[in-house]
Amino acid sequence: MLVLTRKTGEGIVIGDDITIKVIELKGGGVRLGIDAPKTSKIYRQEVYARIIEENKQAVDWDMDTLDSLSNTLSTEKKST
Amino acid sequence: MRKIDTRFGQVEYDPSNLLHFPAGMIGFPTLHDFIVMPNKKEGPLFWIQSVDDPAIAFVLTDPSNFFLDYNVQPDASERSSLQINEDDDCFVLSVVTVPKDQKITLNLAAPILFSPRTNRAIQVILENTEYKSKTPLPA
Repeated sequence: MLVLTRKTGEGIVIGDDITIKVIELKGGGVRLGIDAPKTSKIYRQEVYARIIEENKQAVDWDMDTLDSLSNTLSTEKKST
Repeated sequence: MRKIDTRFGQVEYDPSNLLHFPAGMIGFPTLHDFIVMPNKKEGPLFWIQSVDDPAIAFVLTDPSNFFLDYNVQPDASERSSLQINEDDDCFVLSVVTVPKDQKITLNLAAPILFSPRTNRAIQVILENTEYKSKTPLPA
C-alpha cells in the first residue's frame, strides 16, 4: 500500500479525475473531501465489505432448504 | 440454446435472453451474465444462475412482497448503467440469504435494480439508510 503524509488542505489525485482532500482533523477522525465523476461509486469501506460478505453468504444455499421454504411461504401467502 | 452444468443439474438456456450485470454483483465483479430460473414451487422466491461460474447462484425476491413501502429509484448514473431513460420501468429485487435454519433475510441495504426493457441489472448500495443487509421477514 502506498502511504503518503498530507496536511489539512492538502490532497492527492488518483488517475485523471479523482481528487481526495484532507478537510479537517478532529477528535481522532479525518474528514475527507472527494471529487470524482458521478459514475465512480464511493462507499465507506466497512459498508462495502459488509455487502460483499452478505453476497458471499447469499450464494451459500441449497435446493432442499429453498424447496421447503417455498412451501412454507406459499402456504402463508394463501392463508392471508 | 446452450447448456451448463450447475450444482442443481444441467440447465438449458438461451444466450440471447440473459440478465446482464455490467458491473457484476458486489464482490463478484467478473460474473456478468445470469440465467433467470423460475422456481418450480409456488411462492415469491426465484433464483439467478451465473453462466460464467456454475457454482454461483443467488436467490432473489420482489421485496414489495414483504415490504410494501420499500422503493428504490435509479439515479442518473445508474440509469446509464441500465441503459434506460427516466420514463423506463425499473424494478427492484432483493438478494435473499437462505441459511439452513430457514430464517431467511433480505438484503434491503443493497438492492438490485433491473430494467425489463434492456435486461440489464445493477446491485447498488444504499447509504445513510435504515435498511439492513440482513432484514428478517416481517412477523
